[in-house]
Amino acid sequence: MSSSPEFAANAGLNESPNFPLRVVDGLTLPPEYRKALKPGEEWKDSAGRLRQLPRYFYEIPSWDSAMKIELARNFLLWEFIQVDVREAPPLRTFPRYVPCAITLLAVCLDRFREAVGTLVHISANGGYRSPSHRFSKNATPHAWGTAANIYRIGDTYLDTRSAIERFSLIARETLPGIWTRPYGAPTGYAEDHLHLDLGYVLSVPRDVS
Amino acid sequence: MPKTETPPAARERALRAQIENIESESGAKAIAVALHDAETGFELHYKADRWFHAASTIKVPILLGAFAAIDRGELLPHSRVHVRNRFLSVVENVPFRVESGRDANSAVHNAIRKMMRVDELAYHMITTSSNLATNLLLGVIGPDAVNRTLKELDVDDGIDLKRGVEDELAFEKGINNMVTADGLLRILVLLSEGKAFSPALSRRMMDILHGQEFNQGIPARLPKGARVAHKTGEISTVAHDAGVVYLPKRKPYVLVILTEWGPEGTGRSRTIAAISHTIYEFLTQGPPDE
Repeated sequence: MSSSPEFAANAGLNESPNFPLRVVDGLTLPPEYRKALKPGEEWKDSAGRLRQLPRYFYEIPSWDSAMKIELARNFLLWEFIQVDVREAPPLRTFPRYVPCAITLLAVCLDRFREAVGTLVHISANGGYRSPSHRFSKNATPHAWGTAANIYRIGDTYLDTRSAIERFSLIARETLPGIWTRPYGAPTGYAEDHLHLDLGYVLSVPRDVS
Repeated sequence: MPKTETPPAARERALRAQIENIESESGAKAIAVALHDAETGFELHYKADRWFHAASTIKVPILLGAFAAIDRGELLPHSRVHVRNRFLSVVENVPFRVESGRDANSAVHNAIRKMMRVDELAYHMITTSSNLATNLLLGVIGPDAVNRTLKELDVDDGIDLKRGVEDELAFEKGINNMVTADGLLRILVLLSEGKAFSPALSRRMMDILHGQEFNQGIPARLPKGARVAHKTGEISTVAHDAGVVYLPKRKPYVLVILTEWGPEGTGRSRTIAAISHTIYEFLTQGPPDE
């Protein structure tokens, strides 16, 4: 039997049956979406360094599909896209768009979930949020789809120093290169969730031109 | 013996004297009353331009601000808000939380880390005076937007909104939300007349105010047929009630009673109820026989 790429493509082997989302180039989206998503634009981080925002997104047609699509064995897509009224209005209704790097975050969280041995809960506004979200400041990696705010692990609510620091340590031991926000009240710290992120990862799917 | 009309000015003087009497007997440091009767057009302004700490009566202007955002299309009643108990003080942005023990409402605290709808938060903010719901709504719409709304509706005089609630650091620095009786009266008149944005939105706000669960003030000594859409407010130094009173077979009247007390002050609700009853009798009983 042939194993050429053509054969694989014809047989549908380059498609994941559980991941039917269309990849879109953000620069081709209608103006109201481009204004909110700022695809490929530069954004200064808290140290004044320029970071380039994602350009390629998965298009999510409906909440129903987000409830069904697995990004990883223990994570469904909807868990990463819960936003409230602070998100830019066009991005609060479907179709919604999420950077392609979201799949990497999901795989990392899945590994973390295996390490803690119980359910990991991402908070509202704590997965992907656009650069136009009112909480998005200083090139937050949330706008790259590479950050998650975890408010609960199993039955433990992460709102104490001991809980946050304990699971932060597990995350750093489990996921090489992961960054976690230190416990505390001032800006740049977190006291009611565990923030972890992969940094400014840009994912460019092979098929995009 | 023929019944003779007491001149309106004399009746008003008598009403003022009754309120003065209640005030002096109550031990309150100050009392202000503002009244507008839609049935007769009668108005009373008793120390109604004196400023008081607003306590939870500030939630009425915030309700107006939330519905202004709905009217502008920036929010929908079913827009979802992340329930997070973390706020920043107006003093140096120091974070603080709303203690669950100080909130009469557990529904909003039980939803922490989840989402609630804007109309649910507005309902809890008014009917059980949820401080958490208040700060969440104010966080979404912003104090500046509320103040702009008050100005656009020409009801900003007598309302000084500076911050959310439970901001202890601001309280210690004397940065407080303040109101006058006349200021709250103007807002409630606007709502009761259906002139806040639209009759439909005004009615929705009035429906929320009708759901008030704390009824020891204005409604306490009114007859059973009375319905009151109102908002109370109480902290250690003040006790207020402001609302619209609906009685059978007459147009409503709008009544605001603000009171200030020393730390030893008791009988706050009783005093507000007594003033409310006095007003009720004044408006519903004809002039006395000579």
